[in-house]
Order: sequence, then structure tokens, then C-alpha cells
Amino acid sequence: MAKNIAQRVRTWMTKKMDLPEDVIMDLPRITMIGQIHIYIENHRGLLGFSDREVRLLLKQGQLLIKGDSFVIKTILPEEIMLEGKIGEVLYLDE
Amino acid sequence: MKNHWLTFFGGTVKVKVQGGGLERFINALIRSNMSVWNVKRQGSDTITFMMRLDDISVLRKVKRSFPCKLSFLRGEGAPFLLKRSMKNAGFMLGILLFFVIITILSNIVWGIEIKGATPQTEHSIRKQLDRMGVQVGKSQFFMKDVESIQRELSNSLDNITWVGVVLKGTTYHFQVVEKNAPEKVVETGFQNLIASKKATIVKMFVEEGQTMVSVHDNVDKGQVLVSGYIGKDKHAKLVASKGEVWGQTWYKSSVEIPLESEFHVLTGKEKIKHTIKLWNWEFPIWGFGDNKMKEHVEDKVKHPVKFLKWTLPISYNKTTIREEETGKRTYTKTDALREGKELARNSLKAQLDKDAKIIDEKVLHEKVENGKVVLSLYFQVVENIAIGQPIIQGD
Repeated sequence: MAKNIAQRVRTWMTKKMDLPEDVIMDLPRITMIGQIHIYIENHRGLLGFSDREVRLLLKQGQLLIKGDSFVIKTILPEEIMLEGKIGEVLYLDE
Repeated sequence: MKNHWLTFFGGTVKVKVQGGGLERFINALIRSNMSVWNVKRQGSDTITFMMRLDDISVLRKVKRSFPCKLSFLRGEGAPFLLKRSMKNAGFMLGILLFFVIITILSNIVWGIEIKGATPQTEHSIRKQLDRMGVQVGKSQFFMKDVESIQRELSNSLDNITWVGVVLKGTTYHFQVVEKNAPEKVVETGFQNLIASKKATIVKMFVEEGQTMVSVHDNVDKGQVLVSGYIGKDKHAKLVASKGEVWGQTWYKSSVEIPLESEFHVLTGKEKIKHTIKLWNWEFPIWGFGDNKMKEHVEDKVKHPVKFLKWTLPISYNKTTIREEETGKRTYTKTDALREGKELARNSLKAQLDKDAKIIDEKVLHEKVENGKVVLSLYFQVVENIAIGQPIIQGD
């Protein structure tokens, strides 16, 4: 219940104060350059990694990236840069 | 992305990990502040990635709690490059050795050329050079400079008038002028012989021409001694008169000799310093210690290092510091007189021809003035007074 209220306050604040959602609400910011690069900030860790599929943990749910010949160019605690041929980016809610 | 230049200097390693749950392993790595890049999956239970060499200890620490197998595939960057180049040290050494050898060879005498000398003289010059240490195959560093070689050669060999020494690259060129080369006979036209100065004739030796004066005559400057006009009337003809007329002449000279004078002499004490100069920075390699001599003169010999035809900004210098002493000389009046006479005689001799002779000298006047002895001297000289005067023919 308390968590829900905090969530609602944050949503209200971003709307009223015109702040970027990823900063306030810990949402992932995903930058893609064509099909070849994908850059994800605010992830919470690597769940699965193969050259066809990468699964990332988010604050809420997971992110699944499907494609071909993936290489993690850089990985930092909250950022990841993936290279390869990206086919799909899916949000999995749990 | 990371700045790969910095990681290049630190060195990077490619690591292979085998086992299950590798994603968690990577999460653990990056949470302990390790940078990991180029992560690739190589199979169902294998991944490879790059990491910094400095992070190996962190990797080991993290690995303890994971049941996986680590192996290091390849190292990159400066530390590994260095290690690999050590393996090829022979090659690097060869390159270095090449330059060293070229430099050494560039500073060795490779030729001695002697021009203008007869084989006999050339042989003696070569022998003398050998004695002085100027030989083919010797290093130029330990040779004297060109001026010293030149001086020493012309002092030690009697039968050469002059020798020019030039060092061109690695070859010494000697240009020799020999003394006993036959003198060239000067062709003269018709001429009279006239007196070069006022004199009393002592002796005559006329080869050609008509003698106009006789022994014991007093002649004036410009007077005709031997005429180039011989014969009488229609048999008359012109010749180039030739001969020697010795006359007694007079010279007056005055000299001043200070009674007290200072002069410098070397005591024989010396100190040799060897230094190497790089650009403007000079540092000693032998002969340390301060110079304790009060008065001294320095003699510096510079040997620049050459590389092929270029002179490098590196030179080997040898400085000889010689101790000097100031002496004081005090003449008594009689000593000063003697010295003054000697001085005047020598300066007169330098003025006269080689075959002129001083037959008498007299002191005309002497006085001591301001600590100096002032002398007036009178000399009688017998010398050849005949000089040629060309006869200009009218038409």
C-alpha cells in the first residue's frame, strides 16, 4: 500500500514538474542505433545471455532482446551496450 | 566506452569462463567495479570477455563463490608487447648494433692520401705519421687535431717546405710542397744592374754586362753598377746583365728594453679532463676534482662524433689544464744592453737577405729612461746591393 502511494507521488511529480521519467521512476532508457547497437540504462542485472537472446532484469519486470550474433560491448552495473543484429525488444511483465 | 589508450598501457587479458550460471558471474563482476567488455558466448556453457590486467585479483576473489573454470587466452597491451619483444631481443639488438658499428666506423681513419711528394718523401711522411699515431684503421678520437698534425709534420721533416692537412670524412689529405724542387730560372729581359742603396763596394762578381764601377767606390742609390749596353759603336748590343755586387752598407736602429718585465711560464703541472658533450650539456667521464691551480691556461680539443657524413651533436672533449707561473725578470743595465744589442741584431737579420753579413756594430747612444734602456745602434753590413733595372728600348 505504501509502495503504491510512493509510486503515485512520483508519477504525479514527473507530470507536474516536467522531469524525465527514467530519472524519477527508475525506468530503463533504451537507445538504439538502427539494428546494430542497443544501449540500455537503468537495468538491474543480466539474467540470460546467448548470441541470439539477452534477458535483462529491470526494476519492474524484464527486458528481452532477440536477435543475432550478440556481443556485450560494455557492461556496467546499470548500463549495458549490446552489439549485433537486433530483431525484437520485448517487455516481460511478471 | 572506456578509454582504450589507458587500458592499452595497463594491459588487457582475454578470459574464457566455463560453467553454469555465467550471467550471475558477470553481474557479480561488474558489481565489484570491474570493467568487462566484448562479452561473447562461445557455446552453451562458455563465454569469453576482455578485462584489465589490474583487475585479475578482483576476478579471482569473485570466482571463489562460483563453480566455474577460468582460463586466460591472450594478453594484449604494453606489458605483453614488451614481453613479446623481449623474445625478439636479438632483432632489436641487431638494429642497435648496426647503428653502433656504423658510428664507430664513421670515426675511424680509412685513408691517408699524400699529394705532391716524391715517393721518397711520401715514405718518410708515412713513417712519421705512423709514429704520430695517424694510421689507417685507428680511431680519430685519439688523434691530434689537424693543426697539430700539420705543425708536427713540418717541424719533423726537413725536406718539405709546407704541408697542408685536411680531414675529409674519414680520409686525411696531405698536400706537400717539397723544399728541394729545382728553382725556376727567371727569364729577364735586357737590364742594367743598379744599386739598391748607398754603399761602398767591397766585392764584385759580374757574369754578363759592362762593369761601370770598381771595388772601394762609393755608390749612391740608383747608380748603374753594371750596364746592359756592351760593345762600341756599331758592335754595340744590349744584354741582360747579371751578377752580384757586394757593398758595405750602414744601418741605424734603436731599441728599448724595459729593465723589469713580467712573463708567464708553464710549471709543467697539468690536469687532463675528459668530457662528453651532448648538445649543450657537458658531463665529465674522467678527470674529476676541482682545479686547484691558481693561474692556468686551458687547451681544449674537440672530437665530434660523426655518423656517415653527418656530424652528430655529440662530441668527446679533452681539456688540458696547465699551471702557469708569472715570473719577474729584472735586468741590470749591462744585461739590458746585451739584450738590446741581441734584439736589434736579430731584427736586422730578419730584414736582410740570407747571405748578407753583419761585420760590425757600435753603440751610438744609450740612456736609462722611465725604467727602460734606450739604445741607438749602428751596424755595418756587407750585402748584395745589385738589383735589375730593365732597359726600355726606344724605337
